[in-house]
Amino acid sequence: MSRLDAARAATQHQKAWFAETARRARAGDPIALVNADAPHEVLRAFDVPYVVNQWWASIIAAKRLGPASMRKVAEAGLPDHSLQYDAMPLGAQDLPVEEQPWGGLPDPAFAIADSHGDVTHKIFEQWGRRPGTETYQLSRTGADPVPPRWWELVPREWETAFGTDRLDLLQGEIEELIGWLEERTGRRFDEDRFVEIMRLANEQAEWNRRTRELLAQARPAPVLVNDTIPAVMVPQWHRGTQWAVDAAHRLHDEVAQRIEDGVAVCPGERRRLMWIGRGLWSDLDLYQRFQEEFGAVFVWSMYLAIAADGYVRYGPDPLRALAARFVGLTDLLYVPPWSAEWYVKEARTHGVDGVVHLVADDTPGGGFISEALEAEGIPVLEIRANNADSRSTDAARIPERIADFLRDRVPARG
Amino acid sequence: MSDADAPRIGIIGDDVPRQLVFAAGAVPRRLLGSWHEPVTPEAAELLGTVDAAAGRVLDDLLAGRHDDLSGLVVCHDSQANLRIFYVLRILAQRGRVPFPVHLVDVPRVSANAPARCFVSRQYARLLDFCAQVTGNRTDLTSLRRAAEQERELGRALEAMRERRRAGDCTGTEALTAYLLAATEPPEVAVSAVAGAGGATAPGATRVHLTGSNHPDAEIYRALEATGDVVVVGEDHDTGDGAWLGVAADGSSIDEVTDALTDAHLARPAAATGGLAEARAGHTLRRATHTRARAAIALVREHDDAPVWDLPRQRQALRDHDIALVARTRIPSGDAAATAARESLADLRELLATAGADA
Ligand code: SF4
Ligand code: SF4
Repeated sequence: MSRLDAARAATQHQKAWFAETARRARAGDPIALVNADAPHEVLRAFDVPYVVNQWWASIIAAKRLGPASMRKVAEAGLPDHSLQYDAMPLGAQDLPVEEQPWGGLPDPAFAIADSHGDVTHKIFEQWGRRPGTETYQLSRTGADPVPPRWWELVPREWETAFGTDRLDLLQGEIEELIGWLEERTGRRFDEDRFVEIMRLANEQAEWNRRTRELLAQARPAPVLVNDTIPAVMVPQWHRGTQWAVDAAHRLHDEVAQRIEDGVAVCPGERRRLMWIGRGLWSDLDLYQRFQEEFGAVFVWSMYLAIAADGYVRYGPDPLRALAARFVGLTDLLYVPPWSAEWYVKEARTHGVDGVVHLVADDTPGGGFISEALEAEGIPVLEIRANNADSRSTDAARIPERIADFLRDRVPARG
Repeated sequence: MSDADAPRIGIIGDDVPRQLVFAAGAVPRRLLGSWHEPVTPEAAELLGTVDAAAGRVLDDLLAGRHDDLSGLVVCHDSQANLRIFYVLRILAQRGRVPFPVHLVDVPRVSANAPARCFVSRQYARLLDFCAQVTGNRTDLTSLRRAAEQERELGRALEAMRERRRAGDCTGTEALTAYLLAATEPPEVAVSAVAGAGGATAPGATRVHLTGSNHPDAEIYRALEATGDVVVVGEDHDTGDGAWLGVAADGSSIDEVTDALTDAHLARPAAATGGLAEARAGHTLRRATHTRARAAIALVREHDDAPVWDLPRQRQALRDHDIALVARTRIPSGDAAATAARESLADLRELLATAGADA
């Protein structure tokens, strides 16, 4: 199966973009380090390039610099066992520059995070202790209320979806962040530009929505599920640019073309599967391993689906819309009953025959998700990774367990 | 109605102004869990990997040990507690827990205007929730009466802290009194606190305790039973850090909730919500105030926040010649007492070297 051109183009673009951003930073332009849930669009309106902490961690990990980075964290007296992925870039920053990936990340002027969990704000506090970097922290509130069918509410009725109080708080803090950045950059917040950024972000989300719809309908599946991930995620970090809109558009057209050409990941598709949970980065081939024997194809992952449903926000007040984009983005994926309802909806629209659910140990109520799917008659294989030991042994047995599951519980289509 | 018949409202976490609960005619009961008992597989599956003390709180609820509660308030003061809320919200809907569950979400990242407004609305909602549970209307009179009652506890606690500082109350006694104060009706609480005393071992090293909170007094007992140390203070949220004895006045209900908001936002940083810098400052202030010679940090496995504070705490204390020993990732069960004893051995060694240096 040939890779998607959109995926290749995205990866290439990211390299060139990083090189240019690093060059600008070395020439004295401020750049920012942000976490994935921070309101990136504000930085874009200030023309402050930003690097997403989790993306940078994935590059560090891919270059096998994770252990060396965590040793640096430990040398600073900080824990190397807690929220490792989010802490990894902090350690990597202390590696000799020639060892760092992609020529190294120049010290950011700003580190901006929402203080989600018990530790994220402390990691970003450490960034702020480094010379040349200042930290800004946003509050993170819990998912309350959780009205049903969030995906119908978030595009326009976000006040109902998230509640006015939560939105007021985040909007107020974003406004303060804008003042903070104006002071530090000496630039004025360009509202017209910001409106345009928000418009482009919605356009990108609309393309992702169309692509997701195509893939939900297509029989047989025309693309490998892991191939859409970079094609969706990289443009997500460039949200609010014309390039990102074009990239989402390109992905859509390529998928449409494949469907028209009758391309199939597995022409003998007999079982359609959904993968719930983080990607299994250590074993991406796993997704294809069940095609030969079972005609089983993974047709869904959360990355495209959340890009399709999670980001669109329409409304007259762009700052309010931005607050509404980030106030509960990860809650949509991880907090039951929201998560459970949404997975059921996606499983049905994609005509899924079975679900492999990698239950994360850092989210609550994973069992409610499996239960909701089973209640709809969709068989679920739960893979739990609760501690380091069981994680490694379970990982070794995942293929076997999936094979057993397919054999015993997921009947082949006619 | 006497307190004995008053409905009980369970509290998970430490962000609830108890005055509001009393004013609605209920008695708050903090649910604490345990450092010693293992978490059942059911609670572990529901919560994912969390601090065992939090896991035990859910276990107790699932086992029906708090079925006499009329309502439950869960604070978003840690990730573990937020997860408990998410899980209980669903279980309450299904009738698995027989009372309504309410979230109190009062972030302390910043004390700016939007945060203040959000917290104040949260406290107003909390007051509504409590009134719904009890069926009583809250008014200025009940708020005033509740304030007096909570302040009486506050005065008793202050006097206990003074006794403790003067060497007339052990850490074990003080912690036990704090735990009772957080869980029992006011009269019981006040008399427990007033009665807390007990001579400290002569020559024992004065230590400040930081790290995870203590849902029971076993570790304190293990430490003090050696006669080597006396715990003169702590900064975790079941001891000196607990939000007890605080109340506010005002000429309207809104003024009271606003004043409680200010009081909340002015609290010293907690391990989970706070930044290391602020935590270190607070630890140092407490340790010097109680004339501690050393500090011990004991941190449970999966309670990660306190570990991020350690380097700054150590540095701040060292500048004042206060040694810090730390044990982290302590599993539940007997390992906890063992870790406490090991920390004492570390401490002896550290103080001996410090003495030799001097
Ligand atoms: S949701 Fe939490 S773990 Fe995931 S990226 Fe955001 S901060 Fe990191
Ligand atoms: S059924 Fe087998 S041979 Fe046919 S496409 Fe799928 S994997 Fe390939």
